[in-house]
Amino acid sequence: MNRYQNYYNVPSGPQQQFQNQNRVKIGVRNWQNATMQDLLNFLSRNTRVNLMDATIDGPLITGYVQSQSQADQLIKWNGVSFAGNKLKFEIIQGGQTGTSSTIEFLKLFLAKRYDPQARMLNLGGLYDDPELVQKGMFTNMSTQSRMFPAMMKVASKEPGLVVESLNLADNRLKDVSAISALAQTFPHLKNLCLANNQITRINSLDVWKNKFKDLRELLMTNNPITNNPSYKNEMLKIFPKLVVLDNAVVRDGAKLDSIFTLPVKLQIFFFENNELGQRSTDFVTNFLNLWDTDRSQLLSLYSPQSQFSISVDSSVPPSTVAKSDQNSSFGYYIPHSRNISKVSSEKSIQQRLSVGQEQIGNSFKELPRSKHHLQDQPNEYSMQSFIYPQVNGFTITLHGFFDETAKPDILPNKGYNSRNRRSTYTTSANTRLCQKSFERTWVIVPINNTFVVASDMLMIRPYTSHAWTAPSETPQPPSQLQPQIQPPVQAQPQMSPVPVMGAPQLAPTLQLPPDVQSRLNPVQLELLNKLHLNTKLNAEYTFMLAEQSGWNYDVALKGFQDSINNIPRDAFIQ
Amino acid sequence: MNTGNAASTTQQPHITETFVQKILAHLDNTDINKLNDFLSLFKPGGASKIIFNSQPFNDPMVFLTMWQQQVVTTQHSLTSIDYHVIPGSGTLICNVNAKVRFDESGRDKAGQDSIIRDNTTMTTSNNQSNRRNLWGPYFGISLQLIIDDRIYRNDFNGVIGCFNYNMVYKPEDTLIKIN
Repeated sequence: MNRYQNYYNVPSGPQQQFQNQNRVKIGVRNWQNATMQDLLNFLSRNTRVNLMDATIDGPLITGYVQSQSQADQLIKWNGVSFAGNKLKFEIIQGGQTGTSSTIEFLKLFLAKRYDPQARMLNLGGLYDDPELVQKGMFTNMSTQSRMFPAMMKVASKEPGLVVESLNLADNRLKDVSAISALAQTFPHLKNLCLANNQITRINSLDVWKNKFKDLRELLMTNNPITNNPSYKNEMLKIFPKLVVLDNAVVRDGAKLDSIFTLPVKLQIFFFENNELGQRSTDFVTNFLNLWDTDRSQLLSLYSPQSQFSISVDSSVPPSTVAKSDQNSSFGYYIPHSRNISKVSSEKSIQQRLSVGQEQIGNSFKELPRSKHHLQDQPNEYSMQSFIYPQVNGFTITLHGFFDETAKPDILPNKGYNSRNRRSTYTTSANTRLCQKSFERTWVIVPINNTFVVASDMLMIRPYTSHAWTAPSETPQPPSQLQPQIQPPVQAQPQMSPVPVMGAPQLAPTLQLPPDVQSRLNPVQLELLNKLHLNTKLNAEYTFMLAEQSGWNYDVALKGFQDSINNIPRDAFIQ
Repeated sequence: MNTGNAASTTQQPHITETFVQKILAHLDNTDINKLNDFLSLFKPGGASKIIFNSQPFNDPMVFLTMWQQQVVTTQHSLTSIDYHVIPGSGTLICNVNAKVRFDESGRDKAGQDSIIRDNTTMTTSNNQSNRRNLWGPYFGISLQLIIDDRIYRNDFNGVIGCFNYNMVYKPEDTLIKIN
């Protein structure tokens, strides 16, 4: 307690200075029937906020309040009667200047305490740092408790600050709550020193459980916590990769690494031999080009005995998978899905297998139109190709993603689509077009100078980022191999004029958040724009409508007209 | 519609799925004594191709030993399976998707952890009976198999010709490093 008293009772000088930084400039209107002093007295009496350094500035009286919260408090008094008028308060200048100068100060401070060679940030003994004390960082509870988070936040925005080791010794920490944000700022921290603090309770470290997955060394000497009999065991639990605790080796580092590292690195490509590599990349490149532009041209690759089927894995990936789509829609695929772990009817399993060109051609038309990015984003795709001796051929498996660009040419199961779907456009949420991830496996049998695709299996799943890492030294991307080799596709793709789609011009009133806009393809943007202009709905509602209609303009417009009376007024452009 | 010349078609989907489940169960198995049962499913003498994360293993034994000794306990669950019987080849090809999670308790399949014991380390963490798997988050798996259609005649000996196992997505909050 003594200590506590000591360092919070600091002289008022630095305190004053620190507070000045948070000052907010306020303007007051409609005060003219009285003197400025009358106004100040009135405010002080009624709002309990003092306007300091007040001056008359034309129709305004301007002055400063001590903090943003005081400013907010004052704003609430807007419209209060004073001398026959209703006062109006406005914030002329927020605490930003104070904040930004604090940020600058913290940036400089961090830079001073950072050793780029050792990748070490030394935040030890902050209370003894004359600069920080002078800056008033420890003047009271609230500034003190905010200082660490602020520092962490500033640190996390400094890309140059690569921190593997962090020293927080001698900081009078009673628990880690003030520094819990560390786990977000430096999730890959390897060494942490918390020595010479007053951390007592083991439970307080629970906030770091399952964080700091790379922490190898922890130093907690001279903290009461180290006297706890279960201290070591608990630290081992909280930090699964801790090797050194208080200078003692607690885990066998080599054994630890072997437990948590897969023995085989995940590669992006496997080809059983080089020739196969070229043939496969060629095949896949040409196949997907046609798949995206004119699927009927692919049918010459299929024989009367060729088989095609799709399956859907609709299981939602964990939310911690980067970019994972937690709400994917499979409405166009489910009626065809031959996922035999889900479909139990023998009849359906048989029906959903397409054999021969005609059936396969029909199946192709029942799948949404797509755009693959094999050429412009080759690292998003992984491929394995190997010889399949029993068919005198080979198989190719491709993992990757595609954009859905339009609904299928033929909608599945006549009864299921059309009337039903259009009457209630919300049900078409399950036919919303979106990105999908996929696995596709072809069994290819070379015959004379061409191929037959004996088997073609397509597995569709929610979009996720991929697991393989992009090779650092770019190997030849598939597209580079293409020109050297005779195209395997017999009917050489007459690159049917892919509409060159630049981003369409959007109406100025259609203001989409950039992240939303970047996710949409030009066709979708075009549709949004048209819908927006015709309905006068604002961007948010236009987007909702488009999405609910499955990106079908007619469905969307019909839905709009049907429910126009129920649409709130603020859904329209104001 | 199924033109495969293998045994009657009605039981095929069921047998195929059961066989794939069996393979996944073998992968999840921690009992070293059952390794030979798993091995017997693969073609002998380098006739089986195994690809794991785009890397080839010519000998199934090498792969299975690695899996047993260097990969922690796993739990696979099947999410999708489709297959085609290729006429005249005596084989079928399976396209399988699954999720897998790893035991992140810090112990290997044999139950060994990396903790260095001294007299201050409580025995509880060493208590074998108290040992539980601490499942981490799910990874996404894509598996392609080429299998002899003998499985439809209840013959599972050396039927796996190809085993192409690849991770397709990974959770960021896992302790397991794959790259």
